[in-house]
Amino acid sequence: MAGAERLNSLLPPSVEPMTGNAQHSAAADETLVKAAQKGDMGAFEELVARHRDKIYARAYSMMRNEDDALDLSQEAWVKGWQRLQQFQGDASFGTWMTRIVINLCLDALRRRKRQQAESVEVLNEEAGGVERHMPVMTVNPTEGLERAELRERIDRAMAQLTYEHRTVLILHEFEEMEYKQIAKVMDCSIGTVMSRLFYARRRLAALMANWKDEDEGTNTPDKQKP
Amino acid sequence: MNNDQELKLQAFLDGELPARERPAVADWLAADAEARALQQEWALTRSALAGGEPPRPLPESREFYWSKIQREILRGEKAGARAAARRAVPWWRRLLVPTAGLAVLTLGLSVALNYWPPGRQPHVVETALADSGAFTYRDLKEGITLVWLSYPADSGLADDAGADIIE
Repeated sequence: MAGAERLNSLLPPSVEPMTGNAQHSAAADETLVKAAQKGDMGAFEELVARHRDKIYARAYSMMRNEDDALDLSQEAWVKGWQRLQQFQGDASFGTWMTRIVINLCLDALRRRKRQQAESVEVLNEEAGGVERHMPVMTVNPTEGLERAELRERIDRAMAQLTYEHRTVLILHEFEEMEYKQIAKVMDCSIGTVMSRLFYARRRLAALMANWKDEDEGTNTPDKQKP
Repeated sequence: MNNDQELKLQAFLDGELPARERPAVADWLAADAEARALQQEWALTRSALAGGEPPRPLPESREFYWSKIQREILRGEKAGARAAARRAVPWWRRLLVPTAGLAVLTLGLSVALNYWPPGRQPHVVETALADSGAFTYRDLKEGITLVWLSYPADSGLADDAGADIIE
């Protein structure tokens, strides 16, 4: 059965059958997924077009590199197609695809880490580093910033974290995953997740507060509580 | 505040602390200024992160991006089809080619031995254990025997020998 016919067969009788790309672009994700599960590659292409920016952005936020992000996001789509029969609709299609790209990025980052000798700096960060004992920031790092500036700073701060700390922050704050889920994805204990999250938050707060101080041309100690 | 307390506070604020531990942490938070300061820092960071993730549009056109994905999908499907075809062949058919090869070899050897049984080969080259430098060639069909020595003719060993043809 051709792709368009397959998709028409899934539409309720009240819906006028459509043809080609117009039909796909009007269909809901669930309809496209069902059609793709039956082998309709046109439906899958529409799903790729809808979610590609989000999947690429997630890969980029983890890898911090455009080429890696492109390769891994494409690999995620290929895997998505191959595992489409396993998609049960418990989460949205976009969330399901995001989990696939996150797993691929983590695999790539682990491989990369194994290839590199672990630096002393990384070991210190795992243990908590100096941020564990730094003063608490009371300055609002977003105050007076335009949205674009804020995003640029968050991006810059995320780039300064190790991949373990960045990933745990992304999964918790952006993907809204629980500690238990993060531990499973990252293949570590819940205690490690908590420790990494604590460090990542403190480091992010410190970086953003420092940049704010630099903007204001001051380094006011009264903004920090000892 | 020690590390355990910090992590417990974080779990409380993230809604991950078990219900039985929550009242104690809530009381401690209300009474401890340092804990409240940390809570505020996290609230500020969280509000900065909310909606602060930079959008990052794909730097390739829809067609180009999809064409690479499609190519990989089709390549994977071809490889999968080949593997499935290999798996579909029963085990006895997979053994057919090596078994047939072995049978042909055995048959050939058996025919050769039948045709030229030991001692009836058309010619034989022999070397004697007593004198490893002397070789004998026998052509059974022509009835010729040729003996030759590998050492020089002027050595003591070859006083009486040369190459003689015995018919």
